[in-house]
Amino acid sequence: MENIRLEISRSGGKRASYDVKYRKGMTILDALTEVRERQDSSLGYRHSCRMGICGSCGMTIEGRPMLACQTQVSSFNKGTIYIEPLHNMVVIRDLVVDIIPFFDLHRSVRPYLIRNDIKERDTSDREYRVLSEEVRKFLQFDYCIMCALCYAACPTVALDPFYTGPQAVAQAYRYMADPRDEGWEKRVDLLDTSHGVWRCHMAGACSFVCPKDVDPAKAVQLARMEVLKKRILRRRGKEGSRLVPPHVAVTAKEGVKPPPFDFGGAKS
Amino acid sequence: MKRDKRFKSGLIPSLNPVRFNLERWSYTVHRITGVILVGYLMAHIFETFQLGGGAAAWANTMAALHSLGPLELVGLWIVAGSAFYHGGNGIRLLLNEAFGRFMGKPILPVYPYSPTSLGKNQKIAVWTITGVVLALWVWAAVYLLAGVGVI
Amino acid sequence: MAEPAKVNGGSLVKESWNMVVTYVTGAILVFVLTFHLLLHSPLAGKAFDATLSFGYATGNLTYYQVIFGFLLFAAVIHGFNGLRTIAIEWLHPTRRAWLLNVFVFLLMAFFLAVGTVTLVVVG
Repeated sequence: MENIRLEISRSGGKRASYDVKYRKGMTILDALTEVRERQDSSLGYRHSCRMGICGSCGMTIEGRPMLACQTQVSSFNKGTIYIEPLHNMVVIRDLVVDIIPFFDLHRSVRPYLIRNDIKERDTSDREYRVLSEEVRKFLQFDYCIMCALCYAACPTVALDPFYTGPQAVAQAYRYMADPRDEGWEKRVDLLDTSHGVWRCHMAGACSFVCPKDVDPAKAVQLARMEVLKKRILRRRGKEGSRLVPPHVAVTAKEGVKPPPFDFGGAKS
Repeated sequence: MKRDKRFKSGLIPSLNPVRFNLERWSYTVHRITGVILVGYLMAHIFETFQLGGGAAAWANTMAALHSLGPLELVGLWIVAGSAFYHGGNGIRLLLNEAFGRFMGKPILPVYPYSPTSLGKNQKIAVWTITGVVLALWVWAAVYLLAGVGVI
Repeated sequence: MAEPAKVNGGSLVKESWNMVVTYVTGAILVFVLTFHLLLHSPLAGKAFDATLSFGYATGNLTYYQVIFGFLLFAAVIHGFNGLRTIAIEWLHPTRRAWLLNVFVFLLMAFFLAVGTVTLVVVG
């Protein structure tokens, strides 16, 4: 393959064609950068890390949401590649979409540890106890890079703008499964609405396009089971894991330091 | 910017599974068969209501349906296929959604990635249901359209 | 900061209970609908046209009235709940969400009434 042609959706419903000289190992992001630097500096697209960790360069490539930096030009094995902005989102310009609503939905599920004892949470100099086997139950869902590809792929998001969405539900479940979290009941109530977890129909497109194998479809089904546990089995939220070691009150007296952490071995 | 314009592509894009996974195709078929079945249900309830009017009323109803010609049996065949698929896929979805079956457990992702929710168990479930549905549909075709196969 | 859409579809119950009803009626439907289809299948020992005769249809409704009752209720509730799901997603009403639920409920009640009359009169 010597040259490739990029057919890119531009603002105003236009489509522009650019021919780019192919180099071995070229990604779609490399090709777009080539276009912007040598042919058309007005082309708008987001990118940052170039290594699949920031989630900025999500776009629809050949009809499927992908990260441009993680997609090899050679993987398509054809001379013309069609590139559009992410589906299901309002286009700001060219390939740049408005992802503020996506972040709003993420924030709406309270994606942080909720503890009942706020003073303990804010003044503690110890850690909350969590075992490695407990971490395995939610670590997969922690790898989310918030690229919004799952929202572009989800058929319910395509239809219902109020749907909480696969990423937000997955993050809600990530915290529900965290033994340190005490917001289980609050999150169940947040998810158990007419635009919450029940609008998922297990199309699995979110997991299909996820570049980090977060598997949001699995998280949504697990979140559903948590909701059913509360509603049908009448389960209540558990107390979160305790501090390790037990919390030692820190005095505000000037010059008084808290006692050193005891590793349980030699005398400190 | 009004909230309802921020996401949303519409009904047709939501039903378009091209370039996506097998389960997304099954979602589309499940939705379409569901709508077919509800439409048929409404008509069928009115149709069977005519039984209360006696043999004469029923004969008129049947005559009206027979006047559709081959469309009647083809339509019934499509409804039968819809019922087979929607029911079979519905069982799979019930197992997925309420019991977490075929989803796999949370894992530590290792490249190359392969989501367990779309893994081997899920694929076996989808293809098994599709196979059984197709077999039943062929059987229904033979019985309804060819009038063959009475036991 | 956006909150998730708190409007619970104007429903008196949590959405999870609607889904439990959908699951239960779906599971019931698989069995009773299979039974209904078998009565009009080669296993009935008749050609398809013969299974549509007045005598055969009324006979089934009389002998299997309870099963057909379950079929009617499960099918109407499951089917119209499904239509409601599509309507919530497609129309996503917020201010007058309760109207959609009332409309679906009325439709369900209407078709259940028509079907029940058939079962009672014929059975």
